[in-house]
Amino acid sequence: MLRLISLFLPTVIPSWRFFNTVAPSPRIEFRLIEPGQSAAHAVGGWQEDRPRPQHLRLWQMLQRMLWNPQWNEQLYLFSCAERLIEAPSQHSIDEINQRVARLLPQGAQELQFRLVFLSREGVRVVKLVEYESRPVPLAQIQEGPI
Amino acid sequence: MSGILFLEQGLTAAQAMGWMQLFLAFAIAQQSLEHLALGGVALRDRVTFVSRLLLCLGLAFGLGGGWPVWGLWGLGLAMLWRYQGPYNGGSDKMTMLILSCLSLAHLAPTVFWQEMALSYLAVQLLLSYFVSGWVKVFNPEWRSGSALRDVFRFSAYPVSEALRGLAERRRFLWIMGWAVILFELVFPLALLNPIALKLALLGAAGFHLSNACFFGLNRFFWIWLCAYPALIWFQDRIF
Repeated sequence: MLRLISLFLPTVIPSWRFFNTVAPSPRIEFRLIEPGQSAAHAVGGWQEDRPRPQHLRLWQMLQRMLWNPQWNEQLYLFSCAERLIEAPSQHSIDEINQRVARLLPQGAQELQFRLVFLSREGVRVVKLVEYESRPVPLAQIQEGPI
Repeated sequence: MSGILFLEQGLTAAQAMGWMQLFLAFAIAQQSLEHLALGGVALRDRVTFVSRLLLCLGLAFGLGGGWPVWGLWGLGLAMLWRYQGPYNGGSDKMTMLILSCLSLAHLAPTVFWQEMALSYLAVQLLLSYFVSGWVKVFNPEWRSGSALRDVFRFSAYPVSEALRGLAERRRFLWIMGWAVILFELVFPLALLNPIALKLALLGAAGFHLSNACFFGLNRFFWIWLCAYPALIWFQDRIF
């Protein structure tokens, strides 16, 4: 009950401190590992989950005013990534695993993800790996609903 | 002339609630359809979103008195639990805030308490702009324009890689950053005049539209619009 109250209160007493600071920005990367093998047998390297398109035309942006489910799911995954660093929970791990796995072709490999945070140090943008998940069988995640 | 008369017009509490419920029905239905479209959605989530769609129909057609609002509030609470927080950050928070205030307005035993619930929403809407401007103006990175450059350069929000190129347009971003800060800070002054308020709300909607185009925050646009009738009523009631 206390947990539910702690989730509800910020919605009726919001802080409204939008973009107070530009915090380190999360990206989710994943790789597939052959079953029973070490991470050295990853199929390909780390790849970004749902990389954004190079260009979007104005009409595509306007279309997304009405219909933008994938991008909103991606924003939710970024929230899960931030929560996983601030207050680690199995819920965040499961949400990321399931939603990354949903967009992958079915396979016998194991799925592993990592959280990379981008931030600015002086004039340079630096990339820091903050979390690496335990590999889990892809088929097992894909069997269940999100 | 008729345009000016329209801009000067206020809303009664009942009218404001009616408009808010109509907008809210659209915004929540849009959110729910997006969830259902993802595919592979668990049965318990499908039940939640289909129920939300049905309640939105009741809300849009004014059926069931306060029940559709109370039902959507209950489902909003269930979603907070399901996602262990808001699914879509500030837009989900605003959805719950509006539903909470409308729920209380429907439960209110007297007109006074109904007006208190709507006033709370109106003040929170004002604060959503003013506090955002206040925290930015005290941040040297926002004042110099480097914060907005960082948003485009490496934040997760720009919807395409090409938009990251805007980070190099320093003068443009400095002007835009200050335009946003000043607009957010002076927004409460628009309460002093009904025409100024409507124009300020139009400007704010344009601000949310640009955020939706650049950063994909479409749900913010629709849900902030839902709260505007409360502020139009509040201005008319107080000034």
